[in-house]
Amino acid sequence: MTTTQARTAGSAAGVVTEFFDRYRAHDVNGMTDLCSINADFSYVPVEMWGKQRVLRGDGKVGTIGKPLWTGLINAFPDLTNTVHTMTANDDGDVVAEVEIAGTQQLAWAMIKPAGQHYREPHLFIFHVGEDLLIDGVTAYWDDASMSQQLGHEEVD
Amino acid sequence: MTSSQTETVPDSAQASSPPATVQAFLDAFARRDVAGALALVSPQASVTVHPLGLAGAGRDALRTVLDDLVRAFPDLRLTIRRVITTGDVVTALVKAEGTQATDYAGAINQEKHLDIDQAWRCTVTGGLITGVSAYWCQRQLYRRLAVKRFDAIAIA
Repeated sequence: MTTTQARTAGSAAGVVTEFFDRYRAHDVNGMTDLCSINADFSYVPVEMWGKQRVLRGDGKVGTIGKPLWTGLINAFPDLTNTVHTMTANDDGDVVAEVEIAGTQQLAWAMIKPAGQHYREPHLFIFHVGEDLLIDGVTAYWDDASMSQQLGHEEVD
Repeated sequence: MTSSQTETVPDSAQASSPPATVQAFLDAFARRDVAGALALVSPQASVTVHPLGLAGAGRDALRTVLDDLVRAFPDLRLTIRRVITTGDVVTALVKAEGTQATDYAGAINQEKHLDIDQAWRCTVTGGLITGVSAYWCQRQLYRRLAVKRFDAIAIA
């Protein structure tokens, strides 16, 4: 996105609002277009424990975030979001309380599809750069609640 | 200082900025001074702790959450990783660490070490916290405490 608009709390929040609009429309390329090429990504609850290593949902939007968003939309074809609160500052920080919901049709992580629906509150923390591109995304939610709503009772 | 002692509002609380209020709240909690932390919370505060399924109001709702953590993890250590101020909303990203000493959230004590990333979104009005929404992943918490199944939390 090319713009000459100055970064303010309002313009930063506008970028994030557009991000969730595109997420709701399942436009993953459009979501990543709103992010800088090297944007940081951290989905804090994502961790997969192997015998010798732990894979975490940390990295870059392009290499971790985009595949995660694509996989989630594939597994939950009716995936949607509702933005409940959004606050921002002139430094480009944007904090959003967002409910993510969807009905599982394909396997997701260790959860087999059973047609179950989930709806889970998330807290997103974005940073929007002076170029009005998102250069950091962090999210928190309770993955146990999501798992149980989908009928999966095993912790791992 | 225990939570049963008389609550007094620190002088600094009444005149502090929103981030200073939240910082003081977290500092008191990090000292395991629940009463001191609650002194910075409005008696009518809205309290939502998503991973515990808690949506309540007032200090007592939050007191239970903090008391349970301090009691179950007597060596609790809270590291404040980042504080984000967006108007009257202050979001603190923290890491909570400790060794389980009593049952917690249904999980029996196996003396496991807990380390979990949390986000506390606080609304501050007039030097007091008037709203708290806490986010963390209960799957990560139960994983650390060696719980195997969400529907059999108390079984090791």
